[in-house]
Amino acid sequence: MRKASRLSLYSALWLASAIFSLPLLLMLSGSLKTTEQLARNPYRLWPENIRWENYPVALESMPLLRYLGNTLILCTGCVIGTTLSCALIAYGLSRVRWGGRKYLFALVVGSMLLPWHVTMIPRFVLISELGLYNSFWAIIGPTFLGDAFFIFLLRQFFLTLPEELFEAGRLDGLSHLGLFWKILIPLSKPAIATVALFQFVQTWNDFSGPLLYLNDPQKFPLAYGLERFVSSYGDQTHLLLAASVLFTLPIVVLFFLAQRTFIDGISTTGIKN
Amino acid sequence: MSQSTTNLKQSEKVDRFAGLMFCSPWIVGFVFLFAWPFAASFYWSLCRFDLINPPEFIGLENYRRLTSELQSQKGFGLALTNTLYYSLISVSLSVVTGVLLATLLSAKVKGQAIYRTLVFLPSVIPIVAASVLWIWLLDPESGMINYLLSWIGIPSQNWLNQSRSALSPAGFTEFSQWLQGGALNLFGSKDALILMTMWGVGNFVVIYLAAISDIPGQLYEAAEIDGANVIRKFYHVTLPMLSPVIFFNLIMGLIRSVQTFASVYVLSEGTGEPGGSLMLISMQLFLSAFADFEMGYTSAMAWVLFVLLLAATTLLFRTSKHWVHYRTSS
Amino acid sequence: MNKTNILIGILFSLLVVAALLKNWNHEQDPENSSGRSEVIFWHFWGGEDRDVVDDVARRFNASQTKYFVRPVAMPGNNLQAKLFLAVAGGDPPDIVNQDDPVLADWGQRGVIQPLVDIAPAAEVTEIERWILDSARRLSTYQDKMYGLCNGLDIRALYYNKTVLEQHQLQPPRTISDLDEIANTLAPFQSTEKKQSYGYIPDSRRLWAWGYAFGGDFYDASSQRVVVDSPPIRGALQWMASYAQRYGSDNLAAFRQGDQSLPGKIFPLLPLDDQETSGRYSVIMDGQWRVRNLAAFTRNRQARGVATPEFGVCPLPIPETGSPRKNAGWVNGNFFVFPKGAKNSDGAWEFAKFWIGFTDPSQAAKTCSQGGWIPVSQTVTQDPQFQTYLDENPLFRTFVELSESPNQFPIPSVPGAAFFRRTIERAAFQAFDDPHADIDKILKDAEQQIQTHLNRNDNLRDGGRVDP
Repeated sequence: MRKASRLSLYSALWLASAIFSLPLLLMLSGSLKTTEQLARNPYRLWPENIRWENYPVALESMPLLRYLGNTLILCTGCVIGTTLSCALIAYGLSRVRWGGRKYLFALVVGSMLLPWHVTMIPRFVLISELGLYNSFWAIIGPTFLGDAFFIFLLRQFFLTLPEELFEAGRLDGLSHLGLFWKILIPLSKPAIATVALFQFVQTWNDFSGPLLYLNDPQKFPLAYGLERFVSSYGDQTHLLLAASVLFTLPIVVLFFLAQRTFIDGISTTGIKN
Repeated sequence: MSQSTTNLKQSEKVDRFAGLMFCSPWIVGFVFLFAWPFAASFYWSLCRFDLINPPEFIGLENYRRLTSELQSQKGFGLALTNTLYYSLISVSLSVVTGVLLATLLSAKVKGQAIYRTLVFLPSVIPIVAASVLWIWLLDPESGMINYLLSWIGIPSQNWLNQSRSALSPAGFTEFSQWLQGGALNLFGSKDALILMTMWGVGNFVVIYLAAISDIPGQLYEAAEIDGANVIRKFYHVTLPMLSPVIFFNLIMGLIRSVQTFASVYVLSEGTGEPGGSLMLISMQLFLSAFADFEMGYTSAMAWVLFVLLLAATTLLFRTSKHWVHYRTSS
Repeated sequence: MNKTNILIGILFSLLVVAALLKNWNHEQDPENSSGRSEVIFWHFWGGEDRDVVDDVARRFNASQTKYFVRPVAMPGNNLQAKLFLAVAGGDPPDIVNQDDPVLADWGQRGVIQPLVDIAPAAEVTEIERWILDSARRLSTYQDKMYGLCNGLDIRALYYNKTVLEQHQLQPPRTISDLDEIANTLAPFQSTEKKQSYGYIPDSRRLWAWGYAFGGDFYDASSQRVVVDSPPIRGALQWMASYAQRYGSDNLAAFRQGDQSLPGKIFPLLPLDDQETSGRYSVIMDGQWRVRNLAAFTRNRQARGVATPEFGVCPLPIPETGSPRKNAGWVNGNFFVFPKGAKNSDGAWEFAKFWIGFTDPSQAAKTCSQGGWIPVSQTVTQDPQFQTYLDENPLFRTFVELSESPNQFPIPSVPGAAFFRRTIERAAFQAFDDPHADIDKILKDAEQQIQTHLNRNDNLRDGGRVDP
């Protein structure tokens, strides 16, 4: 009985893992096949002869490296913007004593409920009025004004820091800015790293931003650049798959490097609420 | 929260200036990225406006149009029905599979970390890449999914080239006719989208996993003493203890599914086709704004969506006290 | 502090990498404009066509000392939305090539400029006389030219002559001829899946069949949508009858199969050397397939493999006859000149150069390179293009069709994109559901489109349109 239940547990685990990883394996193996192999035997996991050439060919037929460069610029800019602004704001909402902060925090939480649809058009108008249309700043700029979700996350974390340390800092004559840089930031690295990581992934994946705000193909990031080839490369699945693998790989690597941060980040947001 | 306020010592003075300064980025952001857009889009929803020429006030005309489209199931009506179908099914499926998978992955076995990683990994794949992959997997002739379905005797499905959906009256008729020997064409583009979404359920699984690990072991021990088997333990301990997280995920899932855009854009090549079946609200919004130049109508649609979403969330909150069990800290 | 430094270090190295990568692809930076005023030109051509486009730009730049055209390839979906965003965002290109039916919308809203605003009135009048009817229809809204058509897409039936002859069949002249071909090559009364069909209609082509059946979708004089009319109903009923006969699900899957053929090969062509027949023996398609057929034949002959013979014929008409000769649906590419662009003058020069108004032989060269249909008979008569026609006899049918007065575009009204979408969706519905009530589908579509167009009319009556 015990053995039987053990067996069924393992088979269930195997089945689940197989279902979830099969598409990824197929993506990888499909990116190493020829069109003919894909047409003839799409389900064969190990290609008969591995075609690494697909990757250079994909890089040649789509300007993926340029897209990658743009993506990296956007990611870097957004990560700097978000971490800086959200840390400052969250500090102001947790560690500075002032009357309005309760209400302001309520606004922060409330703004999370607003779907992007409502603000899409006015934001576009604003960005173009500021002359930021077709510039990276259209996407990076707003991150310097904070993001409700990340502010929330950081504030919750800042509140858990022991007050004594700040007290000691004040006695040493540190101003708020001093407290922020010398005490809060060094203590909050894990939380800030989480925010940085999530913002990075978010910008990496961002599709609607470039769709709305960028019109120069020289400035397109991967997520949008790749989409533009989907319909015209409908017959070259192997190249599209190779491009997708290249697009996905850095995120997967990042995931394995920072697995704990990923998992903890997601699960704490789930539980804290 | 309360402990932090009591912790405040005498030496920390009220400093409104510093507070405002630290929060100023967000205040600026709130005014320009939320408050003004919020008000502007409401005003525009009462206008005919194409972004090029100045807005022209037309009262409730746009809202009247939305109501009539709701009745005729065209335009907004179709988009709302599509979104409801997608949201209801994908959110409820993600709760069920999420909880089940998390239970499975919380069992103490060797190599569990690997299983967890494999289940979670798809959820970090960028949407655009995932969509490219699934377009191929769902190809009616050479796609993996139809091949797997053929193992269990289900004939080839048209997926992304098919506007019908499985869980609809027509789907049930189709299914019962198939059982009597007819053809089967059950799964359409929205089912394809749901399938792809479910592949990325790992995000939710992780949250459930964390919640399960927080459940005190004594509860299970107590249940075991009462002679509960695996299923009863799941039903009487795990589920109630998970209910706050399930509730959270319901709301997050709802918001997320209503905002789904990139995947439908890629899967339908920016059209919402076939037969309008992938025209989710967000797709309809994008097209009616920037392909049909109807900013007023689009704003009205966004506002109705916002109100509906707010109502759904409130309703969930209301019902939550009947089934969500918050652990008391004592 | 250590970890923060690492983080900052990583961010900066990412920036350096990004900067390096950005300079990796130089492909879009051709020779510099050397002080000439630049014309930014958006188009969506890719592959072989893109080389032709770049060549036109090169020839134009060589012929010029004043302007310099920089082509920007914009493949992908919803180019029309991208242009609209660019105009609204205040950073439009100087000239755009489009093939979606958006000219009327943009003209009405002032997204693009009428030709008289950027060019001498006399020149515009002359061009109006100079270009073909079909090309003029494509670029006119309310009797005013808002664009310059530079290429026509004409649909006709391609057939595999060898296969037809094997079965003692003639190229179809009437709809029942076509039915007979389909029924002979793939008998109607069998719902099993097939490897190939004689002919199956495509739901997106109700436009073509509607016009071929003698119908009209829009009555410009009364400004009424007239989709639910006997000829169009007849066309859709006939098209949908194929879905009923063969099974709509089979057809949908089969069509999808066309899309994923290796190399997007023309489905009329046999896939293997042993075969004479492709996935279809008769198929409706545009003039660009002539190029594919020629390449196919060349390739087989070079290897000494027997090749089937192909032919092209105009769309057949119903048994009862049609008042129109050589009728069909014309689509095409046109240049438009966004409002707020910095260099409309240069853009205008480039557009005239391209269509051959400046010099017909230049356009003749472009058209023979790309396999494109000239927009003026002046260009067609150029010896260089005549040589092309002699080498590609199949192309002649398309050129003849383009000169027919009965080739109609999607109605040039504001909301045409909606018009098109709704018609195609209605046809899709009729195909998708074998029991669909076609009359009701068309009535619904008609009403829906009319409502949409009326909304635009109100906008016009509001008098907010720039004079």
